[in-house]
Amino acid sequence: MFSSLGNSLHRLRTAGSLTVAQFRQRKLRLSLAIIGIALAVLAITLLAGTGIGVLETGEQQFDAAERDLWVTAGETRITSAGGGGFENTLYDSRNLSTELESNEEISNAIPLAFDTVYVRSNQSGSFNTFIATGTPQGGPAVHVTDGDQIQGDPHYANGTYDGEMTNEVLIDEETARELNVSVGDSINIGGSLAAAREHEFTIVGMTPTFEQMLGTPTVTMPLSELHEVTGTTQTEPATFITITVEDGTTVEAVQRDLQETYPEYKIRTNQEQLSAILQEQVLLLAAAGVLVFLALSAGIALTLSLLSLVIHQQRQTFGALTAQGISSSFLIATVIGQGLIIGTLGGGIGVLLTPLAVTVLNHLAAVIVGFDGLVQTAPWIYVGSLGIAIVIGTVAAAIAGWKISRTPPLELLQ
Amino acid sequence: MARSAAPDTGASSPVVTADDVTKIYYRGSEPGRLARILGRSQPPAVRAVESVSITISNEEIVGLAGPSGSGKSTILHMLAGLKRPTSGTVLFRDTDLETLSKRERTRHRLEHIGVVFQQFHLLDSLSARANVALPLVELGIGKRQRRQRAAELLERVGLGDRITHRPGELSGGEQQRVAIARALITDPDLVIADEPTGELDTDTGRTILETFRQVAENRAVVLASHDHETLGSCDRLIQLRDGSVTDHLTQKESIDEYS
Repeated sequence: MFSSLGNSLHRLRTAGSLTVAQFRQRKLRLSLAIIGIALAVLAITLLAGTGIGVLETGEQQFDAAERDLWVTAGETRITSAGGGGFENTLYDSRNLSTELESNEEISNAIPLAFDTVYVRSNQSGSFNTFIATGTPQGGPAVHVTDGDQIQGDPHYANGTYDGEMTNEVLIDEETARELNVSVGDSINIGGSLAAAREHEFTIVGMTPTFEQMLGTPTVTMPLSELHEVTGTTQTEPATFITITVEDGTTVEAVQRDLQETYPEYKIRTNQEQLSAILQEQVLLLAAAGVLVFLALSAGIALTLSLLSLVIHQQRQTFGALTAQGISSSFLIATVIGQGLIIGTLGGGIGVLLTPLAVTVLNHLAAVIVGFDGLVQTAPWIYVGSLGIAIVIGTVAAAIAGWKISRTPPLELLQ
Repeated sequence: MARSAAPDTGASSPVVTADDVTKIYYRGSEPGRLARILGRSQPPAVRAVESVSITISNEEIVGLAGPSGSGKSTILHMLAGLKRPTSGTVLFRDTDLETLSKRERTRHRLEHIGVVFQQFHLLDSLSARANVALPLVELGIGKRQRRQRAAELLERVGLGDRITHRPGELSGGEQQRVAIARALITDPDLVIADEPTGELDTDTGRTILETFRQVAENRAVVLASHDHETLGSCDRLIQLRDGSVTDHLTQKESIDEYS
């Protein structure tokens, strides 16, 4: 038995030496095959990294909002109506928030509305549509990078809408660029063109918070003033109400109680809310899935064809060796060795190039759409991609080797 | 033309015998049962070898002569177990090659047959010694012994100073001698060579023939060739035309015919 094992190891070592020798002789072919597989691996890591980036960024945004629960009226979906934005189906949001805050386990309940508005600056001249975010308070949930925070929501005045409007907004870098404005400038905002002409706001600060959350240029203003300029003070719609529970309270327990009390609303945790939003983006997720599938398929097809080509070019040699009495298993071991080396080197290079490509892509994404951390990687992506490259390389080589071993040696020699 | 009376067996013990072998090639695939029911006729057939009976004995060099398409290579391949005859039997010593599986025939070639091709078919990436030693890996022989035996054989074919050279660094004649050494490394009973001097100039071809003459001790050698000098150097010749044996020539007759 030991003799047989020793003989097998001996043959395997010789097959390995032969593999290395064959590669030394064919450096260009080897390089091309490795580059092909490296690119396929890179495509896989970047696409998977984009998927992770979307999820991670979403989670970070939810965490940064420092909220525990999210109340919505049904599904949270992005609509293309009116230029895009969330559907605001949670009506009477102010009263509902007050009611929720009366619960002793809830620290605060804040309605948040996203709506499409017309915006014009003196510099831009014409009206353009933007997403407006209405929030009753700034606070830590709205990160201001330049200028001042918005000053509460005095216009609401206990539901009378008699309070003075602050006429203050926060914008993000992309909005500033599109409108050619900066802190201190004025812009017109309204739910209709007529309303926009009537309402002028002063830019008091810059915030990337909602632009990053929504992935689109955004203006942020007090909730009551958003309701005022969109003519929705009667129904006070919100996209959702965010809840912070009291310290020492179990979030899941509060969620359960609220869900029983308000069965007409959906009460979700941060993670559930993110999942719900993503589940509504079926097309987007399907497209991402198809891209990953295509990258994987293209990688497999590329690897298969490259390895087949590399091995096809050695068919006469293999034919001569088989005619000489060299067994198929020895030749297949040689070919598998080639696949293993190509897969490992190609996969390794693809993995090594990934951090650089991620940095470049993230920089481009930040410059073009203002979305930070679009592509993010995780150790399992690196390990998985390398594993895929090695498995594909080895399996593809095994298939090519098996095919060659099935061909009569004289046919290989022709 | 009347020649000697068909001496198709050698003087010493037979190594390989082809008994009434016929090889038919079909142009395209043979029809299956359904195709036959649907009326698909048998594809055109080519009878490459027709009822050939020959015996190759130990320590003789036998030449297969004839024009292209006369069946020389097909007979060589059947003798080596690289092709199965359509009918008839090929006996190697006492073994009917038809009874061996594909794997067994490969092993049989490794242990008993050396093959030399017109185009050498050496591995460019390996040195002359590694090329020669490669078949010994299958026999489980250790590296040191492999290298030693390969070096000895290369020495024997006149390439003792070239053992570390790669095929690309050797001339055509030297590469063919490496291929001969590779064919001999397992000490086979039979060496077959298909146009072994076809790619070589006259002088180099002569050197190769001398090499074959040297290595013919204790084994049989079968050469297929168009080259007159190669055929003239054989112990006896088998003349082929259209897949059939037309004549057998002794060494003297073959020298008269081809020199």
